[in-house]
Amino acid sequence: MINGFLHKFFGKGGSKEIAKKRLKFALVYDKLEVSDQILEDLQRDIVQVISKYFVIDQNALKLDIERSDDLSALVLNTPILSAKRRKAAA
Amino acid sequence: MDAKIIVITSGKGGVGKTTATASLGAALAMEGKKVAVVDMDIGLRNLDVVMGLENRIVFNVVDAVKGKCKLQQAAIKDRRIDNFYLIPASQSDNKDALTPHQMVKFAKQLRETFDFVLMDCPAGIERGFENAVAAADEAVVVCTPEVSAVRDADRIIGLLYAKGITPKLVINRIVPELVDRGDMLSHEDVVEVLSIDLVGLIPMDDQVVVATNTGKPLALQKDSRAGAAFKRVALRLNGQADLPVEIPAAAGGFWKKLGRKIGLKQ
Repeated sequence: MINGFLHKFFGKGGSKEIAKKRLKFALVYDKLEVSDQILEDLQRDIVQVISKYFVIDQNALKLDIERSDDLSALVLNTPILSAKRRKAAA
Repeated sequence: MDAKIIVITSGKGGVGKTTATASLGAALAMEGKKVAVVDMDIGLRNLDVVMGLENRIVFNVVDAVKGKCKLQQAAIKDRRIDNFYLIPASQSDNKDALTPHQMVKFAKQLRETFDFVLMDCPAGIERGFENAVAAADEAVVVCTPEVSAVRDADRIIGLLYAKGITPKLVINRIVPELVDRGDMLSHEDVVEVLSIDLVGLIPMDDQVVVATNTGKPLALQKDSRAGAAFKRVALRLNGQADLPVEIPAAAGGFWKKLGRKIGLKQ
């Protein structure tokens, strides 16, 4: 405890903080691991939903899980060809 | 008798499962319980050498499970500690020699014969793990304060939960000086990540190497810090759940450490 205090006092960070951070992210990543099948299914569903509102190039659509130090993100890239003209609400 | 069967597991290799199994088994036997430790690392047996019983193997666990010998023939009696038995692994078979189903049947025999049975689980999550866990009532997960060991422990804990077992945690090879300096994960860090019940903290101890070299049980080394810590784990497993977990402290007093901090010679 005293040591921990002195540590902070002198401002020397040990490597354990790095270890802890890496460990936590490793565990999150491990649990985020998704199979290609799931990604394909997800992509198909997303295309269906987006296609209700936009005309998109379905072949150019790309779905990825991007991982950086602080977060994991689902990234969807799709060129929008045009907006669908919505029918007037009935 | 109706033995409690406890699997000692970790996921990662080399974190001290075998030493833990031998030490906990010895400590439980010294408490007056009839104990068997079973080496489930088929094909890569090591518990026998750690216990110094490698010259006395005739039959092994595969023989006993398959009925090629009686349980009593495969169980080697430790002559230094009463009521302490080793059932060694086979060195010539591989993990597929046994099935979880066979292990469940074998466990019935074990339960009738002993008070405690400790299964020394092999590293990994394949058949060897399945076999070792199949008959277990409880599990002790051993890990060291390292990223790789904690990550594997997390995976193993998930697999154990899926089998309906709530594991307990032993953190091995703690170097208090490194923890104090902030260069080793503290037990709080590890428990926070794994969030399971802590049952023991074992300090790094040169005596473990001596014990393994000589084949003399750690529990019989008088000045072993790790041996004493394992003994406390054994007491907890033997019903004294309230026994507080001791936190390994750095050797040397406060002033020495303070001196080191402010840059005086060590």
